Parts: sequence; C-alpha cells; structure tokens
Amino acid sequence: MKSWGEAQWRSASSNFSRVGRLRRALLLLAAAACTAAGVLYWRQQTDDSAHRPLQSMLAGVEPQWSWICRNDRCERLLASETSIVQSLPTCNMLCASTQLWPQPTGPVSLATAAVRVRSNGFSLKVLASPSRQVTEHLNDAFFLMRDDLRTLERTAGIENRRSDSATRDVLVRVAVNGSGDPRMKQDTDESYKLALRPSGKSLVVDITAHSFSGARHGFETLSQLVWLDPYTSSLLALEAATVEDAPKFRYRGLLLDTARNYFPVSDILRTIDAMGACKMNTFHWHISDSQSFPLRLTSAPQLAQHGSYGPGAIYTTDDVKAIVRKARLRGIRVLIEVDAPAHVGKAWTWGPLEGLGHLAHCVEVEPWSTYCGEPPCGQLNPRNPNVYKLLERIYAEIIELTGVDDIFHLGGDEVSERCWAQHFNDTDPMELWIDFTRRAMLALERANGGKAPQLTFLWSSRLTQSPYLERLDKKRYGIQVWGSSRWPESRAVLDAGYRTVISHVDAWYLDCGFGSWRDSSDGHCGPYRSWQQIYEHRPWIEEMPSVATGAEQWRIEGGAACQWTEQLASGGLDARVWPRTAALAERLWSDRVEGATADVYLRLDTQRSRLLAKGIHAAPLWPRWCSHNPHACL
Amino acid sequence: MDKRWLVMRVAAILVIVHLVSCNDNSIDSSKPAASLYEPSWTYKCIPDEGCQRSESPQPGVHANMSSLTFESMDLCRTVCGRFGGLWPRPITAALSTQTVKIHPNYLRFDLSNAPAETREVLVQMTQVTTQNLIDECDGNVTEIVETPVVVYITVKTSNLNLTWDTDEQYRLDVQSKEKNAVIHIVAETVYGARHGLETFSQLVSADKPDYTDHYKCSLRLVSGAKIWDRPVYKYRGFLLDTSRNFIPMDDIKRMVDAMATVKMNVFHWHVTDSHSFPLESRRVPQFTRYGAYSAYDIYTVDEVKEFIHYAKVRGVRVVIEIDSPAHAGNGWQWGKEYGFGDLAVCVNAKAWRNLCIQPPCGQLNPANPAMYRVLRDLYRDLAEILPKPALFHVGGDEVFFNCWNSSEEITTYMKNQGYETDVEGFIKLWGEFHEKALKIWDEELADAGHAAGQPVMIWSSELTQAHRIHKYLNKDRYVIEVWEPVNSGLLPQLIRMGYNTVSVPKDIWYLDHGFWGNTKYSNWRKMYAHTLPRDPNVLGGEVAMWSEYVDSQALDTRVWPRAAAVAERLWADPAGAAGGAGAAEARLNRLRSRLAARGVRSDVLAPAWCAQHDQHCL
Repeated sequence: MKSWGEAQWRSASSNFSRVGRLRRALLLLAAAACTAAGVLYWRQQTDDSAHRPLQSMLAGVEPQWSWICRNDRCERLLASETSIVQSLPTCNMLCASTQLWPQPTGPVSLATAAVRVRSNGFSLKVLASPSRQVTEHLNDAFFLMRDDLRTLERTAGIENRRSDSATRDVLVRVAVNGSGDPRMKQDTDESYKLALRPSGKSLVVDITAHSFSGARHGFETLSQLVWLDPYTSSLLALEAATVEDAPKFRYRGLLLDTARNYFPVSDILRTIDAMGACKMNTFHWHISDSQSFPLRLTSAPQLAQHGSYGPGAIYTTDDVKAIVRKARLRGIRVLIEVDAPAHVGKAWTWGPLEGLGHLAHCVEVEPWSTYCGEPPCGQLNPRNPNVYKLLERIYAEIIELTGVDDIFHLGGDEVSERCWAQHFNDTDPMELWIDFTRRAMLALERANGGKAPQLTFLWSSRLTQSPYLERLDKKRYGIQVWGSSRWPESRAVLDAGYRTVISHVDAWYLDCGFGSWRDSSDGHCGPYRSWQQIYEHRPWIEEMPSVATGAEQWRIEGGAACQWTEQLASGGLDARVWPRTAALAERLWSDRVEGATADVYLRLDTQRSRLLAKGIHAAPLWPRWCSHNPHACL
Repeated sequence: MDKRWLVMRVAAILVIVHLVSCNDNSIDSSKPAASLYEPSWTYKCIPDEGCQRSESPQPGVHANMSSLTFESMDLCRTVCGRFGGLWPRPITAALSTQTVKIHPNYLRFDLSNAPAETREVLVQMTQVTTQNLIDECDGNVTEIVETPVVVYITVKTSNLNLTWDTDEQYRLDVQSKEKNAVIHIVAETVYGARHGLETFSQLVSADKPDYTDHYKCSLRLVSGAKIWDRPVYKYRGFLLDTSRNFIPMDDIKRMVDAMATVKMNVFHWHVTDSHSFPLESRRVPQFTRYGAYSAYDIYTVDEVKEFIHYAKVRGVRVVIEIDSPAHAGNGWQWGKEYGFGDLAVCVNAKAWRNLCIQPPCGQLNPANPAMYRVLRDLYRDLAEILPKPALFHVGGDEVFFNCWNSSEEITTYMKNQGYETDVEGFIKLWGEFHEKALKIWDEELADAGHAAGQPVMIWSSELTQAHRIHKYLNKDRYVIEVWEPVNSGLLPQLIRMGYNTVSVPKDIWYLDHGFWGNTKYSNWRKMYAHTLPRDPNVLGGEVAMWSEYVDSQALDTRVWPRAAAVAERLWADPAGAAGGAGAAEARLNRLRSRLAARGVRSDVLAPAWCAQHDQHCL
C-alpha cells in the first residue's frame, strides 16, 4: 500500500501533462479572446518575469490559482493549467466591474490595462486653490493617501524596493475652485472629477473639485484604482480612467457610542480611516450617556472626573484634536453629542459639592425601571440655571475642539416624565422638556458667538410628535429619526417638512440582534441587520409623497448607522461595524436603484479587502471560496 | 552584561525616588484641586451583592482602605462571593477573602510526588501557569516580593492518555503564612493536575486599578483555599470550522488557550469541507494543491503535530473531522486528471441549489473504488498524526441525494448493488460508505500501532434516525453528535437505544446563528441556561463555530465569552437559583478580563457601568 502514493503520482503526472496541454491551448484561446488587451499588455510590460509566478512572499511557494476574465467574470483555474498566472485582485480590477466603492454617480470609464507604480512615485501639484489652508489640507491629505499605499507595499515587504524601468511615476494635479474653508460643512460641494491617463513614461491624474473635501474624495477614488498584486508583489494602477462623481445625500454618518463602553483613541482613528475609505462625512460621536462621561473638558473637568470609568478611560482635549485633525483630512466632520437632558449620570453629581445645587436628578436611582429605559438613570435638573451655564461651556468647548459650527446635536431623547414629575409636580413634564430645549438652544447660541447653527439636531422622541413638534422651529431644528421606518411618528416628522437624518432602528442600527444584556428583558432590538438589508433600505423611495399630492417634500439630509455599545467594547468594534457600514455609505453616496446585486457583492468584497489592508478588522461577507469564485455563490 | 544591569538598577532607583516624591506631594496638599488628580474608583465587596463601585471617585492614593475595598475590580471579584473569580465554578470551594502578594520569580513547582513519566508534560503545564500569572500584569509584575510560593503537585497515575475516561478531578489547597505560601494539588492524572493549576492561577489577580495606564502591578493570591473539583460531563467541546474560511494556526492556538482557561477538553477541528481542504496530507499532496485557498493557507503536518501537543499540554484533545461523504469537494476534484475517475461528484456545480445546501457542492463518489484508496491514504496520514488513543470524526452529515442521483456512474453502481434509487436506496449507499470507511480507518489505525476498536464520531442525520440507525451504525463504535434543535426527540431516543452521544443543539449552541437566514443569535445567557440530560450515554456537549461569516478578523468576539458559558454548564452544571446567569455574571466578567490578559478578545456582556456595579443591571 505504501508505494501506492508514489505510483499514483507518476502515472498521474504523465496523464496530467497530456490533459494539461490541451486545456492550456483552449484556455489561451479563450483568454486571448476576452482579455486580449490586458494580456498583451501584461506580456510586454512585465517582460522577463511575466508569465510564471514571479516573486512570492515566501521563497519556493507558488500561487495555486490563477484568475482569468471570461464573460465578464473572473474564473478560478489551477495556476499550473494556465499560461498566465494572474491574481484575484488583478483579475477583478481588470475584468468587468468598476471595483469602486461607493459606486460613482457620474460617468465612469476605466482602462482594462494596468501599469506598475510605487508609493514613492506619487507626487502632488496643486494647480489652483482658493486658500492657503486648502492647499495645506490638500498636501496633508495627499500624504495620508500615499501612506495608505505605502502600507499596502509594506504588507508585501516591498516598501524599500527600488523602482525599475517598468515602474511609472504618478503626478497628481489638483485644482480646487470654490470654498476656501477646508471644513466639511452643510453647504460643502463634495463633487469631483478625476482623469487619469498615461503621459510619456508616467501617469498624470487631474482632479478638479469645488472644495477640499471634494478633492479628497478624488484622492480616495484614485487610491481605489491602485492595488497590490500579491503574485508580482507590486503595486499596480489602471492605466487610464475618468470619473465624475458627487454624492446623492450630503449627510453620511456613523454614530459610535463611547459611553456604554469605552473605546480607545486608536479604535476611533481606525474607524475614521474606514469611514474615509467609504466617503462618509460625519462621525457622530455619542460621547456621553448615563453610564459614563469620558470627555475631559478644560471648561468642566469635573464631568469626566466624576463620570468616567477610570483614569485610562478618558478622552483628553488633545485626543479629540487628533481625532478631529485626522477626520478633517479624510473629509469627515466630528459631531460630538453630549446627550441631554436625559441620558446623564454620575458625571453631573458634583453640583452640591461646589455650591451649584443639584445639576441632575434620579441619578442611579432604584428601581431604575421606574425612571429610565436602562440602568443607571439620571436626568438634568431643568430648573437649575447652573445647568445651562455649564451646557454653554460644554457646547462652546465642543465647537472650538471640532470646528463644527454650522450643525450641532443636542441629544434630547428618551426623557422620563416620571423622574421630573417626582421633583416638579407643579408642571407638566413635557412643558419642562420644551423649556429645557429652548434654554439649551439659547446656551448653544451663546456658545456659538450669538448665532444658532444652521441645523441643530434632536433625536426623535415624544417631543418630536404632535402637539409638541409644531413648537420646534423648522428653520433651526432637524430631527434624527431613529424609530422604526414603519412607525407613523417616524413618517410624521418627514411629512411635516423637518430636515431629517434617517437612522431607522429596523434597518440601520448595528447593535441589534445580540439578545438581551439583562436577565429581566427579552431583548434589545432584533434581529441582526445584515449588510444587504442595510443596503436595500431606501425609505425615501417607498414612502415619499409624490409632488402631485401637494404634500410637502421630504427634506432628507441623509442617514447614519448607529453603533450603540451596550454589548460591544474595544476588540469587537471593527467586525461589528464593517463592512456593514460600507453598505450604508454606498446607499447614501450613490443611492443606486439596484439592490444587493452580484456586482455589489463583488465590489463590497473588494472594499472589504481594502479595509483589511488598512488594518480594519472587517468581518467576511462569506466563505473565501465565494470570493475566489465570483458570482458562484449567488 | 554587568553594565546594563547597573543602568537598570539606577533607573529603578530613580523610579522609586520619583514615586516617593509624588506621594509626598499628594499628602502635603490638603485638598487637591479638581483638575489635579485623576478620577479613580474603588470597589467594595459586599456579601450577597458582589463588588460595588464607590459612591464618588477617590483622589490619589488609598492609604487606609478597609480589607474588602480594592482599587482593582478584578481583585475584588477574586475574593468576593462563594466562588470568587473562578470560571468554571468548582464543585466545592472555601476561599479566604484575604490575599498575599506573590511574585512569579519566587514561585516553585515541586513535582517529586508525580511519577517520572509525567514530569516532562507537567513541567510544560506549569510553564503555562507561570506565563498566565505574568500575563495578569500584562507581562510585567513590577512589584517584587520575596515570599516563597511552592506548589506541590501530586499525581497518582503515570497514564498520559487523554480520553473521555480520563480522571480529571483534583484537590487544591492553598495555605499562606506571613513568610510563605504553600499550595497542594492532588490529582489522579496530569490532566486533573493541570485543571488544579488553572484554578490556582484563577486565585491570583493583579492589583492595578482598572482603566489605568499605570505601570505598577503586583500579583495577589487568595491566602487560603480548599477546593475539590471534577467535571459533570466528560466531553466539553468546541468546534472550529477552518474550511469555509481559513483560520491561521495562531488563532487556533489562542482558541485552545481560552479553552484551557475554562477547562474545555475537546477541540473538534472541522478542518475540511466542500469549500477548501487546508490540511496537508503527505501521501496525497493533491488535497491541498487542489483544495487550499492558497499556498499560505495550509496546515502542514509538522504544524498539526506541534498543535496536538500544544493542546495536550492544555488538557485539550484534538479531534479531527474529515467530513464525508458529503461536504467534500475542493481538494477532491483532481481524480480524472490523474486517471482515477471522479473521486467526488457535483464539485463546484453551477446550479448548486439542486445539488447541495450551500455552494460549493461536492460529495464523495462511493461508486469509485479509487476514492476509497485515496481515503485510505488520508486516513493513514491521520492515524500517524493523531495521539493514541485516537478519536476521529467522519462527519457524515447532510448527504444530498440529488447530487448522487445526478451521477450516472453512481446510479449504475446502485443498480448493480441492488439498491433502488429512492430514499432507502441512497441511505443504503450512504451506510455502505460509512461501513467501508470505518473498516479502512480501523485497518490503518491498527497498522499505525493503535489499539483496536477506537470510537468514531459521526453527525446525526437521516442515517441516525431511530428507526434506521441500528442497521447502519454500531453503537459500540459510533458516538453520535446530535445537532438537531432542542425540541427534537432524537437525543433522548438515541440515549435510550444505548448510543453514546454528544449534544450540540443548533438553535442554542451554534455560534454562527443570528447572522444569516432566519437563525437567531443566542447570547451567553441563553447558552448558559441550556442543560443536558444527566445520563451515562450523554458524554457531554459542544459549542460550534462554523466559519461562513467568520475568519481571523471576527473570531475572538464571536466565540468568547459565549463558549465559556457552555464550558461552565458542562463542567459544573449549576442548578437552582444559584445556577442562573444572574449569579454567574460577575464571575464571567472576571473571566473576560482574564481572557483579555491572555490575549483573547472576548465580547463584552453589558455596559461597563454594570460591570462596576454587580447586580444593578438585572
């Protein structure tokens, strides 16, 4: 029996070579037919080391598979059976799909040939810029993109490889005609045009935009035209491309709750990177809640001191500045929400110590279920003027730290009427709430130099239902609608003509589906929202009143995925948020009519690889076999 | 060498001087201004309520803390409550609420009461324990105390076999006086002793405050303990699928580290499926050449051998499953090219919906004698790798008759065998496959020097239905792994019929549920609440991580701490009010930070506020 293995190998290999030859011939024909240009290009371009596994990451290890583009799909074949050994990423990039994420909304044309590039060969020339600040931001954002490419090279161990004659330099020329303010703002025009073409021995990329953010999105698209070919261990770029692009929605957000559980700064920076890669533009930072207050403000250090989980669970102002800086270069604004008047806790208990009276009531009161939705309870004291003075200081420092002054988020959800009723039995708690909101808004105005932001968000709540909704000024307030898309009150806000950000719990809540974290309840929302569900949620299409009915048009600013963190902490963040949030990013940027079609699977799978390369631990979409055999799992 | 030592000494002195001066400052200033001190909480152990965070943050150094107030929540939990911070909880335990400082440099293991044959593996087990202690302080126990700590290990038998008849019980006794600490671990086998060492390590906690980046860290050991412990179920398994997505060996080892922490003892390695074949076979290199995702995504024979030993040192037995006759495709598709005909059929078929439950399809070809020859070579490789006595899993689930029916070769073969091409006919073919496969396994196992008649595991299926199973599967040879949902009657039926069983109810103990189709996620409470029948024919249970939607990136948090909940259910099977999730949560929180210290990122149970206020989030 022992010799059988050897015998088998011998007899088989002779057999194999015959079959192999035949196949190879057939294959060549097919391959030549469908990727003629690409193949020819490959041959001439990578000359000596062209059609065998060139250099592998480990010596002596040969790639097993080769991918050939046939009928617009990459087919997996044994490397030994093909004359061209091509990696999956390269096949995907050169086959039918654009592989861009999010899919651009304007015309796109892409070459099917690749050239070799390296990160060091990328250089920037700013042709036009409305301000020095924009120029500086362009330079820094460009360096960031080059760093990303360098990271790719590092994974293949080629960051220090010398360029050879086949490597092209890439000259990126940028012209920004428009706003001199590099911040991501309500009225920022994020559109851009990109044209990539060979010019002599190099590639020239022209990016034109009307804002820094638009140009930055152009960089992001450019970086998606560059990939690491694992078989040749080199960076490749498409030889030519033109893209015209602009987002469908101007608010494309991700909410992260850092109060239920603390997330280190590195987690947040990584999240920002991932958001940038998907052209999202708003990091909604739900920074405090009744469980903790990790933000150490210079103007009110007591809040973190009494409210944080511990000395290592704090965001210093330097931390926030670093996050804001990174975010801005990625075209993202940081919207910090200090939730009020409910969702506050221990952080607000030091008032009596400092002679400021009770800043909050019901803090950590028992039984909690009487006074709030989840333990521990706590609600600001609406009658204490010191509360508003403190809020003003908080708001002023947040605006200063983030540089976001045209939009703001006041929180404002889930106020317990029971808690206030117990302390102020002379007044209807709803009136107290309205009064609180009014005074908080005044504090915000004072904090913002006497001017209200263009758009101040409140969470949808009882306050945003009739008869209270009507008392909120449409010119000032926007509503972040978190209720189920099927709830009538979710729709009522839209029908009344308020500007809204959609965060429907039944579609875009990333925390759903993990059961209850308490013994006494049978669950948080459920089930889990799959990326397909997130992608296919388009409430504006299904429900929007038609112009003919004369009803007011919905004013949807955009949407946000919400990652509440009762059941999530550092370590699990990336896989819970990504790639699902990328699905939302494309919904809001492109709003394609199609649902999660085969092309979407393919492009999202590629985007997931990009996220992995950036160090984001995104969860897999499916078994790797399905990535290896595009379309076969659908 | 000397010079460097001197520099370090000087540096150490400087640090000490610095610390002292800091202390002076805070003592001198009568009431530090709000912004001058960092917030920090203390935790008090309150009987029956667990550890509670202080009312307000405490400034600076806590000079006169009472004996049951701690800066470290982990330390508080280690002494608080009947079972302290132990997971799984032991059968009986009496723990002191006092602790003594210890340092790994002064920790010694005395093996003189262990048979010579056991010492090599015992030494490796103690090395794991020491490393675990150091990890409690993130790798650096800064505070040196010279208290000698001696662990006397008594092992009664020299038998190193790890089976489900291995005696895993142990006694652990901790006594400390001012000058020393003495620990006695008494066990029948090295594996019992290892459990004792694990429990010992769980009586130790770092005392550094929570959420701090402070460098200072010392270890504290519960100063007195008497524990007697043994598992309720013999088989406490964790299944990992490495075929749908490849899982690197480092990740697998980390899973075994975590299993050892919670005293699980079977790593069920679903190494192959129709998707990929990452297991190297020396006799049949085609398996990986045609079946691995890439040249990097292969478990080499040497890696596997080393891993089996790695697991053994952690009290974990590796059960390899080569799923067959279904769930086999990639890796088997080369037969024709090598002149052996189709080893498998329907492999990667395009119209998969008719031929299998998920793409890619693939089923072994039982009509092809060459398939059995290849299988024999694979089995021989495994027989040489697996530790004695070997436990093997033949898979045997979800045979899709349409697939076999689509092959003329197979239907012709069936005609020749006198099988109808109806359900019973295919069942006969399926039964015949297992009969032949078992015979081959037995022969190769015997050739490789194993004892005869080793048990083989198989999944429940149509073949294992009560009215059929006795015709095809011998109850003295097969252990049936029952994955039917909880409300199915199959498990009790098989038990009554005298089959040994392992229970993996898919609607409760499948870790991949909740992310696809209509499946529902079971959180740790649900997993913990499920109990198994106490019957000699129920060997135990298993928690299963199928990897369609998990790879290296998402693995840890998907598995832990939920698998730990099942581990305690299988080890201790706590009953009554004290056996519910509410009573377990504080200890599970302690386990979570223990796993983190050992490099395993487990999911969080609740907001951190709840972890700082035991029993307040009910």
